[in-house]
Amino acid sequence: MEELRIGVYICWCGSNIAKMIDVERIAKEAQKLPHVVMARDYKYMCSDPGQETLIGDIKEYQLNRVVVAACSPRIHEPTFRKALEQAGLNPYLFQMANIREQDSWVHIDSEYATFKALSLIKAAVNRVQHHKPLEKRFVEVNSATLIIGGGISGISAALEIANAGKQVFLVEKSDAMGGVTAKLDLTFPFLESAFQMLKPRIKQVQAHKLIDVFLNTTFDEITGYVGNFTSKIRQNGIEKEIQFGNIIVATGLKPFDPSSISEYNYGKLPDVVTSLEIEEMLMHGEVITSKKKEPENIAIIHCVGSRNSKYHPYCSRTCCSTALKYANQLRSILPNSNIYELYADMRSFGKGCEEFYADTSRRKILFLMFDQENNLPKISKAPENDNAEMIITMHEKLSGENIEIPADLVILMTGMEAQQDAKEIARLTGVSLCGNDFYIEKHPKLDPVATTTDGVYIVGSCQSPKDIPESITQAKAAAARVLASIAVGNMEVEVTTAHINEEVCCGCQTCIMVCPYTAIHFDEERKVSVVNEALCKGCGTCGSTCPTGAIESRHFTDKQILSQIEGLLKTEKEPI
Amino acid sequence: MAFEPIIVSFLCNWCSYTGADLAGTSRIPYAPNLRTIRIMCSGRIEPTFVLKAFREGADGVLMCGCHPGDCHYHEGNYKCLRRYHLLQKYIQQLGIEKERLRLEWISASEGKQFASLANEFTETIRQLGPSKIKKVMETLT
Repeated sequence: MEELRIGVYICWCGSNIAKMIDVERIAKEAQKLPHVVMARDYKYMCSDPGQETLIGDIKEYQLNRVVVAACSPRIHEPTFRKALEQAGLNPYLFQMANIREQDSWVHIDSEYATFKALSLIKAAVNRVQHHKPLEKRFVEVNSATLIIGGGISGISAALEIANAGKQVFLVEKSDAMGGVTAKLDLTFPFLESAFQMLKPRIKQVQAHKLIDVFLNTTFDEITGYVGNFTSKIRQNGIEKEIQFGNIIVATGLKPFDPSSISEYNYGKLPDVVTSLEIEEMLMHGEVITSKKKEPENIAIIHCVGSRNSKYHPYCSRTCCSTALKYANQLRSILPNSNIYELYADMRSFGKGCEEFYADTSRRKILFLMFDQENNLPKISKAPENDNAEMIITMHEKLSGENIEIPADLVILMTGMEAQQDAKEIARLTGVSLCGNDFYIEKHPKLDPVATTTDGVYIVGSCQSPKDIPESITQAKAAAARVLASIAVGNMEVEVTTAHINEEVCCGCQTCIMVCPYTAIHFDEERKVSVVNEALCKGCGTCGSTCPTGAIESRHFTDKQILSQIEGLLKTEKEPI
Repeated sequence: MAFEPIIVSFLCNWCSYTGADLAGTSRIPYAPNLRTIRIMCSGRIEPTFVLKAFREGADGVLMCGCHPGDCHYHEGNYKCLRRYHLLQKYIQQLGIEKERLRLEWISASEGKQFASLANEFTETIRQLGPSKIKKVMETLT
């Protein structure tokens, strides 16, 4: 066996780590560990000079294992693996110790933080001794793409990909394309028609030779992995199989149902309507009350279901500007009406929207502020002889007064929620959920449309509430990612798969029962289980189930983890 | 000096480890007693790992995975849950208090929850005092 020569590198991350952890001290301590031939601390390991130091050392000191103690491996593991490769070392002969996110950033006692960092480094040094070189694997990428959801996001992504000459399967569960955008009259802040924007794009999609649209269609299953997915879809009871290399999830949003807010009496008072209901009236060019009269007093209530711990804690982001849009449209249709905007905070962010707010406020609209968390306005039926149909009582925050507002029509600015089947689609596609059933992106800043499942992207409001331009931006970003993977033609896939030692396997087949990907089959002739590495995603569940220890979870082997545990606990109990 | 427990936590890569990272990026301070081993899925937490941690002197062991239904590998966390129940029985037979082993679900967005879990679990173990199993094993062997 070759002699182990380990290099340990401790990153300061500027002051992020060095301020809390005594990096020089732990570099000295690390130098004393068995098999460590080089231990250094450096200001920024991920920087070019940092990586060059590492590469230079590997060559000069013939290092064959490397430990970097720095940020989370979720951030820079790929960076350092590449550096190892550049130095001619297999990238898997490397281990990171997370001393930033899980140490210097969360602890306030420098002694303990340093102590913990050292134990994490000892664990990594122990573990890396058992690392084995692993060979990269590539799979070919099927150039077709599945897009789930035919709203503005799905349509935009489909056109982008198909116009680049690649096949798209666009699957929509309802009987029409367009999603929520199709239910809108005008868009903010430029008051352009949503229909005129959407219609030609839907037509293009329908006519496009490279886009297959499946309406009224659901999924029976999606199997496979990046580059090679297969799905059984069901349209009008008929099952069909399609194959594709990437998936874009564009399932959109569901409007919040305001009937659960007792103060607003939605569903009980006929002239309390939701924003999508007023859109329909505006589309037909007729805004009238249930008594077929033109409303004299119109109130628009913001933040319905949003920014309130009882309903949804988040901001739905589009409602403020949409409410301003209604004020503008209604002022034009009903010039003599009284229009009230009942808001909690005005959030008309984005290009042109602040100006839109300023312009709207000059059009004889009365803005009244309420307390969104503790004191919602209350809508009730007006007494018989009253001029108005309804009375809204509220505590106006800016004046500090309790006031009554007459109303013939009340518009509730209902927020966005995740789709009812968000969990089901997440399960099918392997996407993870964050709070409130929205989908979580791979990185909130650096990788906003990718997910932790390779080859699966999320765009539009299924990720979080979004307006139309943001949704289209994301759709086109995901399309670019998909096209890039098709252009390269192949993709690197997981090498950390399971492997069965046939001499040890007793043929009990327990692993087959626990594998979530049916990646293990039984070889009847040899009476052993065999892993199909193309299907294995490396969760390691079979490894921890195998009673004979025949299964090795590559890069997470028993030896590696057990020695890591030993290293973690080798340190004395008190701080150094 | 007051007793400071050492706790080994096994965190799954996709939810819990990311949640712990989020506590870091959000700079939410918590007890420094927790030391993490990252595995890809909570389904990979082999009973041996937990026993090894106690054997090597851990005062507490924390297992974390994705919330039920959210597992990146569909159902690894359910396998983890089953093993946890068996392990609970087993460690008690060894004389390890059941409070020293805990299973919790932490999602990628639950940085705050992870930090409070770390604090709360550290406090539980601090109250229990040092685990005796390492010494017992040393005497026996």
